[in-house]
Amino acid sequence: MTEKVIPIHMIPDKVSFIEKSGKDRYLVANEAMYTFYRRSKGEQSPYFIGIKEKKRIYGRKCTKCGIVRVPPFTETCPDCDFAPTKLVMMPDTGKMLSTPPITYFAHSLFQDIAPFGRGRVVLKGADTGVPILVYTTKGVLRPGIFKKDTPVKVVFRDERLGNPRDIFAVPTSELTPAQVKKKGLTESELDWSGAVEPKIKKSAEAKKALDKTLKEMNKLANKVKRSKRAKADLAGWKRRISIKTAGGAFGMRIDDGLLEVSAGAMKRAEVVMVCEDPTLFTDWVSSTEALTNAIIVGKLWINKNAEFKTVFKLDRLPRSLRRA
Amino acid sequence: MQEVAIIGAGVTPCKGRWLEQTYWGLGQMAVIASLEDAGISISDVDAVVYGIYNDIFEMSAIPEHNLQGIIGMANKPGMRVTNGGASGAYAMIAAYTQVASGMYDVVACLGVEKATDCFDFESMTSTPEVIKTIAWSGDTFYERELGWTASDSYAEVILAYLDEHPDDLQDEVSAEISAILCQQAQNNPYAQRLGETVTKEMAFNSRYIVYPFKLLETCVYTEGAGCLIFASKDKAEAICKNAGNAPIWVTGLGAVNEHHVAGVDGRHKIMPRIMSDHLSAQAAYKMAGIKNPLKEIQVIEAHDAFIKQLQVTMGELGFVDLGRTDELITEGLMTPGGPLLVNPSGGLTYAGHFVGGSNMMSCWSARRELLSRELDHALVHGTGSTIAQYGATIVLERR
Repeated sequence: MTEKVIPIHMIPDKVSFIEKSGKDRYLVANEAMYTFYRRSKGEQSPYFIGIKEKKRIYGRKCTKCGIVRVPPFTETCPDCDFAPTKLVMMPDTGKMLSTPPITYFAHSLFQDIAPFGRGRVVLKGADTGVPILVYTTKGVLRPGIFKKDTPVKVVFRDERLGNPRDIFAVPTSELTPAQVKKKGLTESELDWSGAVEPKIKKSAEAKKALDKTLKEMNKLANKVKRSKRAKADLAGWKRRISIKTAGGAFGMRIDDGLLEVSAGAMKRAEVVMVCEDPTLFTDWVSSTEALTNAIIVGKLWINKNAEFKTVFKLDRLPRSLRRA
Repeated sequence: MQEVAIIGAGVTPCKGRWLEQTYWGLGQMAVIASLEDAGISISDVDAVVYGIYNDIFEMSAIPEHNLQGIIGMANKPGMRVTNGGASGAYAMIAAYTQVASGMYDVVACLGVEKATDCFDFESMTSTPEVIKTIAWSGDTFYERELGWTASDSYAEVILAYLDEHPDDLQDEVSAEISAILCQQAQNNPYAQRLGETVTKEMAFNSRYIVYPFKLLETCVYTEGAGCLIFASKDKAEAICKNAGNAPIWVTGLGAVNEHHVAGVDGRHKIMPRIMSDHLSAQAAYKMAGIKNPLKEIQVIEAHDAFIKQLQVTMGELGFVDLGRTDELITEGLMTPGGPLLVNPSGGLTYAGHFVGGSNMMSCWSARRELLSRELDHALVHGTGSTIAQYGATIVLERR
C-alpha cells in the first residue's frame, strides 16, 4: 500500500472527556488541524527532478559574480542586483560545512529514524551547503564520525520521490575507491553490515559489580510497579533486552508498563546492549548516567539504531521515580 | 522621534500546561496585570501589538483576532508580529515604534502562546508533537523533510562554533550556568520550575536530546502570556507619577535577520557565528550610546533556548570574548555576586518559554530588577528561526 501523507496510526479517535483541576471540571477534546496540498516545486523543480530521475545534483551559478549555490534555491543572484544564474551540474562529493548535529529525541514524524544526523555538504565548486542526512555504514551514528571538512559522498536512495530524503551523505572513508568515483551511487550498493558486536573479557571484579547492579536494578523494577508515572513511561511497550557485561549477562523485559530484571542471558532478545562495566547500570539507576549518553560516548553498544526508542523509555524511569 | 518608556508590565504564571485557561483567558490575565501595574485603564490604551509565534499552537490562522475584544481593545488598532522565537522582541520593537513615531501615546504589547495543547497520541505526551509543530517553521523545500527541528538547527550553530573554538563551551560550565538559572528562578513567583532543584551534577548528567544539547540545559515548553505598556514621554511621566513607579526608558533597539542558507562566506549564514545577535546588539548600543556593555549594563535577560547558545549569545552581545565564553563562570562574570545579573527570571530554561511572549517575560523581569535594585541599564534579547537567523536587542534605562 502506498504510504499516506498522514500516517494512519497517528490519527486519534474523535472523542471528548472531562479533566479536573481541583474541583473544577474542564472539557478536553481530541482535535486536529490538517491541510492537504498538491504543491508545485516551481522554480525549485530542476533540483528535485534531477535527483529523482537522473541521480544528478544541480546548482545555480551567477552569470555575474560566479557564486555557485547548491541547492539552486534562487534563479537570480540577490548579491548582483538579481543578475540571472544558470543551472550547472555538480559533482556528488564534497566536505561537511561544519560538524552536523545528531538528533536523539525526534518529533513524532521522525522517531522511527532517530538517532539521525542532519548536516550540510559543500559540494566541490559550491559556495553554499546542501542540507542532507548523514549516515554511517558502521552502526549507530555517534559524534566524531562527521566533523567539519569530513570528505563525504552523496548517495541516492533506490526509490526516489523527488524529495530531500532521496539523498544522504556517507564518509568517503567508508567507501571503496570505485564507489567514491561512481556517479549516482545508490544505497543498495553500500555495505551496511558494518555494525559488529564488541567482544568483552570476563573479570571477577566485574562479576561482583554485576551482583550489586542486579540488586539495584531489581529495586528499581519493584519501584516501577508502584509508580503510576514510571509505569506510564513503559505503557504499551514490549521488549526483551539482553545486556552483556564483563561480569556476565543479564536481561530486562519491558511488558506494557512493567519492568522485570533477570540474571543470565536473555533469550530471543530484540535489543542487545554490550558494556564492559556493569556499574554503568547502577549509575543509571541513581541518575548519575543516562543510557543515551553512554551510547553516545561509546560506553554502551546497542545493536539497532531504531531501539533508541526503548533507550529513551528506560532513561525516563529514574527521573519519574525521583519525581514520584 | 519622541522618547518612549515602559510604564507597566504583567505576566501570568508559566505552566507546562494551562488546563484552566485558553490563550484568550491567558491574554486577558496578562493585560489586566500590566494595567494594574501601570495604574491605568484599558480605555487609556491607544493601540495593541500582539506577539504570537505559531498559528498551529493556537489552532487558528489569525489567532489575535479573538483577543482584540476580549482585552477591551475593540475599535482600536491591533497588529500581530510573528518572528519565530524572537516574536516577542520584534513585537516590542513595533510597539516602541508606534509610540516613538508619535502615532500613538500608549500602546500595549501582548505576547501569548499555548503550546502543549498539541499532543502526540503515540507516546501519549505533548513534547514530540510540540517539537513537530515548531518543525513546521523549517525550510519547507530542503530541510523540514530531513527532520529539521529548532533544537538541531541551533545545535548546528553551536557545533560549528565548537569547530572554531573546541576548548570553549565545556560541559561543566554549561551545567553550572543551568544550576545558577535554576536558583534564580526561585525568585520569580511566575516561574514554571518554581520549587525545582537542578544541581550542576544533575544538569551535567542529564541525557542528550540533540548533541550537544542536554535535557536540563534546554528551555521548557510553556503556556502563558506577558504584557508591557509603552508610553510617550509626557504620558509616561504623568502616569508613573500617579502609580508611584519610575518609568523605564527604552533607549536602544536593534534587529537583524540573517540569510537562512549557510555558506562558505558572509554572503550567506556564517555558521559558527550568531551575527543576528551581534549586529542587532551593535545597533541597539549605538542608539543607546552604550560604549562598553560589560561596564554599562548590569542586568541581562537573554533568550536562552539552550545554555550553550546563551553563552555564544553573551559573546556576540559583547559581554565576553567569543572563544572564551566559559569565562562567564570561570571569571565569575555571571556567578552570584558577579558584575552581570544574567537571566534573573531563571530564563527560558527555568522560568518558561511561551514563545510569542517569552521576551515580554524577559522584559518584565529586567524592568523588575532595574526598579527593585535601582540599577541603571538592562538588556533584553530575543533569538529565533532556523540557525539563529533572527536577533533582536533592546536596551532599557532607569534614570
